[in-house]
Amino acid sequence: MAKDRSSSSDFTGPLRRLLLVVLVLALTGIFLLWRIDSPRVERFRAQVTDRFVPNLDWAMAPVTGTINLLRDFQSYQRLSEQNRELRSELRQMQAWKEAALQLEQENARLLDLNNVRLDPRLTFITGTVLADSGSPYRQSVLLNVGARDGLVEGWATMDGIGLVGRIAGVGKNTARVILLTDASSRIPATIQPSGQRAIVAGDNSAAPPLDFIENRELVRPGDRVVSSGDGGVFPAGILIGQVAADPGGRLRVRLAADYERLEFLRVLRHHGNETVPDTAHVITSDGPLADPAAPVGVQP
Amino acid sequence: MTDLSRSRLWVMRLSFVALALVILFFHLLPLETTPRAWAGPDLLLGFACAWGLRRPEYVPSLFLALVFLLADLLLQRPPGLWAVLALIGVENLKSRGRHLRDASFAAEWLTVAVILTMVIFANRILLSLALVPTPSLTLNLTELALTTLAYPLIVAVTHGIMGVRKTAPGDLDALGKRV
Repeated sequence: MAKDRSSSSDFTGPLRRLLLVVLVLALTGIFLLWRIDSPRVERFRAQVTDRFVPNLDWAMAPVTGTINLLRDFQSYQRLSEQNRELRSELRQMQAWKEAALQLEQENARLLDLNNVRLDPRLTFITGTVLADSGSPYRQSVLLNVGARDGLVEGWATMDGIGLVGRIAGVGKNTARVILLTDASSRIPATIQPSGQRAIVAGDNSAAPPLDFIENRELVRPGDRVVSSGDGGVFPAGILIGQVAADPGGRLRVRLAADYERLEFLRVLRHHGNETVPDTAHVITSDGPLADPAAPVGVQP
Repeated sequence: MTDLSRSRLWVMRLSFVALALVILFFHLLPLETTPRAWAGPDLLLGFACAWGLRRPEYVPSLFLALVFLLADLLLQRPPGLWAVLALIGVENLKSRGRHLRDASFAAEWLTVAVILTMVIFANRILLSLALVPTPSLTLNLTELALTTLAYPLIVAVTHGIMGVRKTAPGDLDALGKRV
């Protein structure tokens, strides 16, 4: 009997080993292909996700709901304590609300006086969060809006208050948002009121550090960080958060968006900042002067 | 007899795939959108090890490769690398399965821990060789430690609830022959 089995393993052994070698080569090939031509493989990944995850939505929504319910239930135990905290917070907020109302009126008056038009093309689509990245190594969420809804890679995403991330990877029905906390996220920002430029560079921690600040002396904890619109990827002036210094003295951003509960996200439609590519053409009585940027030798 | 065990073989193969899908499903639930300082156990690899050691025929290498590749794609890892390392690790365990069958659980646990360490660190080294940014070492170490700690639980579930047991003398193997 033992002989019988060993003969059968003699028959299947090499075949199995061959299959294993083929599989190992194929998987290594996929990794190398990803390393060489990342966008194509990432597009494939977006398609796989697009095919796979929306099918699970019917099950995901109730399970997520139940787990969140249980978590909320735990917090009921601290209810009275929370209630007291909220009351004191509310009192502070009422003072702020008064201030905000006055400022809003003042702002509206000034805008009216100056006849300012805010960017009228900045509209948004709202999507719900289907899934997160699923691993602690990456910080991203999957939205239920995609190419079908006209989403384009690189658009900014925010919750009601602050910037959350940017779209990277659009499938037909889904789109992935790389959060500001992801290690691969780099967002150009302006620090107000000093106007310093910096890069908000995610590093897989809750408060991403600020890199490439021109003059650190001018930046103080508590300053506002807004997107700068450099590079033409993002609209300018979206709130990112506040500057905070960590114990090591490094400046970080305390994000304004509520990362604890990302449920509904706005994707800002953005069609690029207006750029002025060349100087104005001078028009003479003979028509416009030759374009200095035109290639030499085109005109006879 | 052969038909019965053949259908059971396929049921168990498909149930491994179903188990993998359930694990991925719970990974993908949008519960955790803030960065964490630690990583949970890699249940998929743990179950693959436990199944591969007990019944190699229930987790054929093709299924393992496809499941790991799907996990790579869905969990935003560099596609292929983790899959190939995990596949090699589990295949290595499968080939040791016969020797470990009679050994104590401690020996099995130690072997699995060594394999897990090698998979995780090979992944790290190859990522840095390919100039891909590597995740922080704390995440890797907590993942390794928690997966190792969770392994007895995984084995308990595999053995007790799923009924995937080591072949004992007198059992029938997949093709209806006596072991």
